Amino acid sequence: MVVGRATAEKPATAEELARRLRDAAEAGLAVFPVGGGQAAEMGDPPAREGIELRTTALDRVLEHSQADMVVSVEAGITLEALQAELTKSGQFLPLDPFNSPGHTVGGLLASGWTGPLRLRYGSPRDFLIGIRVALPDGRLVSAGGRVVKNVSGYDLMKLHYGALGTLGIIVAASFKVFPKPLKDVTVESTRESLVEAWAAAEQALNMPMAPAAVELFPNGRVLARFLGSPEATKRMVADLGWKAVDAAAWDVHSKAAPANWARIAMPRHQLRPIVDNLGAGEEWWASPGIGIANWAVAGGAEDVRAVRTAATAAGGSVVLLAGSNEFRHDAGAWGTPPATLHLMRRLRSAFDPNQVINPGRFVV
Amino acid sequence: MALEKAVLEELRRAVGREHVIDSKNDLRIFERDASIEGAVPDAVVLPANTAEVSSVIRVAAKHRIPIVPRGAGTGLSGGAVTIRGGIALQVTRMRRILEIDPVAQTALVEPGVVNQELSLAAASHKLFYAPDPSSQKACTIGGNAAENSGGPHCLYYGVTTNHVLGMEVVFADGNVQWVSGDSPDRIGLDLCGVLVGSEGTLCAITKIKVRLLRTPPSVATLLAAFPTIEAASQAVSAVIGAGIVPAALEMMDRVCVGAVEAHYHAGYPTDAGAVLLVEVDGIPESTLELMAAVRGVLAQNQGYAMREAQSPAERDLLWAGRKGAIGALGRIKPNYYLHDGVVPRSKLPQILSAVGEIGIHYKLPVANVFHAGDGNLHPNILFDLRDRDVLPQVESAGEEMLRAVVELGGALSGEHGIGLEKSAFMPWVYSADDLEAMQRVKAALDANGIMNPGKIFPDPNRKHAQLAGRTGLAIEAKWW
Repeated sequence: MVVGRATAEKPATAEELARRLRDAAEAGLAVFPVGGGQAAEMGDPPAREGIELRTTALDRVLEHSQADMVVSVEAGITLEALQAELTKSGQFLPLDPFNSPGHTVGGLLASGWTGPLRLRYGSPRDFLIGIRVALPDGRLVSAGGRVVKNVSGYDLMKLHYGALGTLGIIVAASFKVFPKPLKDVTVESTRESLVEAWAAAEQALNMPMAPAAVELFPNGRVLARFLGSPEATKRMVADLGWKAVDAAAWDVHSKAAPANWARIAMPRHQLRPIVDNLGAGEEWWASPGIGIANWAVAGGAEDVRAVRTAATAAGGSVVLLAGSNEFRHDAGAWGTPPATLHLMRRLRSAFDPNQVINPGRFVV
Repeated sequence: MALEKAVLEELRRAVGREHVIDSKNDLRIFERDASIEGAVPDAVVLPANTAEVSSVIRVAAKHRIPIVPRGAGTGLSGGAVTIRGGIALQVTRMRRILEIDPVAQTALVEPGVVNQELSLAAASHKLFYAPDPSSQKACTIGGNAAENSGGPHCLYYGVTTNHVLGMEVVFADGNVQWVSGDSPDRIGLDLCGVLVGSEGTLCAITKIKVRLLRTPPSVATLLAAFPTIEAASQAVSAVIGAGIVPAALEMMDRVCVGAVEAHYHAGYPTDAGAVLLVEVDGIPESTLELMAAVRGVLAQNQGYAMREAQSPAERDLLWAGRKGAIGALGRIKPNYYLHDGVVPRSKLPQILSAVGEIGIHYKLPVANVFHAGDGNLHPNILFDLRDRDVLPQVESAGEEMLRAVVELGGALSGEHGIGLEKSAFMPWVYSADDLEAMQRVKAALDANGIMNPGKIFPDPNRKHAQLAGRTGLAIEAKWW
């Protein structure tokens, strides 16, 4: 069940990566795409042995049009390198995933990992405007474009986002980027009890100017971020009356990466009961405005299954983002697949009929 | 080709006798949408609910009859035209707002609900539905989801796909499924994401769960005049470049302003080469600061005669001029052909001058009214259908304009869809392999090709893309 990786290769170009993918497919080998390796343990343990194709040599910024606020990059560029390019012109990609730094853009798209800023900006699903992928038959295909609004043909960006590479290995992507906010302020409040902390988070979320991020911790600490014009952010901070803290708090937070890591995703108002039921002493952090909590699982697979049963019943999911092969095998990375699994399988078969990419790892 | 009697009987059993239309004269009503090409369906079926939609699609699947979902018929790319005959699936009887949840800030609607009705219903909870196509008084949420429609306020808020949380859909075999829903990060492939904007070619939509947003406490709307369309374009880039993303940033050229002013008397400056309509919203502090910043940027870029709406009524009047602009153009010529393309924002001056030259070449008046902030242009070619041989000229002019859009690195459509209108042009942007990848999705979900056939993908039996091959593919040459 536990499978090693026979070899690792680092193609220098997208064309070479596509060729290596095709060759492996023809030789009946499995292929495991790897970017920064930050989400390497996501999903179920692979079903068979194969080669690793690393995207990290594909690290160029292909085009950054400052005036158009659009950037095209190769998939292996790190998020940090991309932000460094964008910041030169006062722009940024509003993506702040956990287990940072070190994510590649391709890895973030394939895994669908996000962070606190999703509250304000949505996920890359909302600002990914073009994509190029390598298919197991060796073709390189593109969808979308380099404009911020586009309805020409099927939105394949949505299919590849979060698909863990199972419909093709992402080699390049285009994004709509955003201007740095005029003002960026962070405030925090620590409450005596979790009940009060949830209420405080709700209070921040209900401010007339919505916060860009609100994070809640088991020790009663609530962290909120307001982005906007100077007077507007000033008023929000004054009205809320919390303590201003350095924005570095977010960098610290983004390093979080539990060893046995589960992501609880719920309809927003169903999140709290699930988190409350994790029990005292469990480590977690929650994004109450998004409906997501990240849980450092202290116990075993049966704890995951119990929380998952409750979460699924309330319309949510519990997915394993990290952990040993044994832990992931025992708990199952995904839980009950959706009723549309047969349609997802048809799509997978249309692009990767022999399950060459990440076999056994994804739900499909 | 008329449907066999037995098939019609099956359809009548599915939805009730009075909800199947097959008389020649009545069918003609469903020949067209708001695009320029039409085709009469063989039958029109008006289901009342999901089960009936499923039954109708099962009949269509059994007999391999094309089935084309249709909402208000306001689409501009021929998405609702039954080009290969078959059944028009008219969903306008399914027009209930099933639920507005003010706590979760969501709405669950049937596909025939009119866009504006939803926002009006949400308003009592101080919520609104953000995508606001200019046809919002008539167009349906189902049609919006099928076409991934936009609107002026999509600059800040995003287009339809960013607001659809989940859908109940009926696939080509009649199978009913929910795709996505209220919770984020759902397990498996994002079917909902690819179905939104699939133009009725993958499924029929029977329920839509959408996100509602809190109505901003304050709004400021500014009209500004510019000596030339180039100056206005420059100002658009300057506003965005200053780090300000307004809620809406719309442009109208001189031709449009003249027609609008004659019709609405909204106080639009008729001497201007172009006007911008800029809106910012948020808390009062924010709108004050942002509007002051916008005014400064516009003034530095030759903006003059700036006028900020002083009341909700004045704001409505300014917007009435914008949203009713296309109707007002009827003062110049009785017919119009409204195009849709997107260029990178910085290419607006180039594309607008190219559009102007093409109009002059074909001796056709062109009026521009569009979402400048997104680079989403809408050249309106004005003509009189009674003029001999004018239609081929209009079509050629439109095709050349789109070609210019693509050559500047743009997209064939920002919010109207490809449909019938632009399917022949898809190879300008996408390679054969790119299109084949999209067709794998089609084949996986609609193996027999009964869902809205003849749309999106080039049909070799129909019209050839005459201008294709003049330059390399935009996607290959300019992107990667």
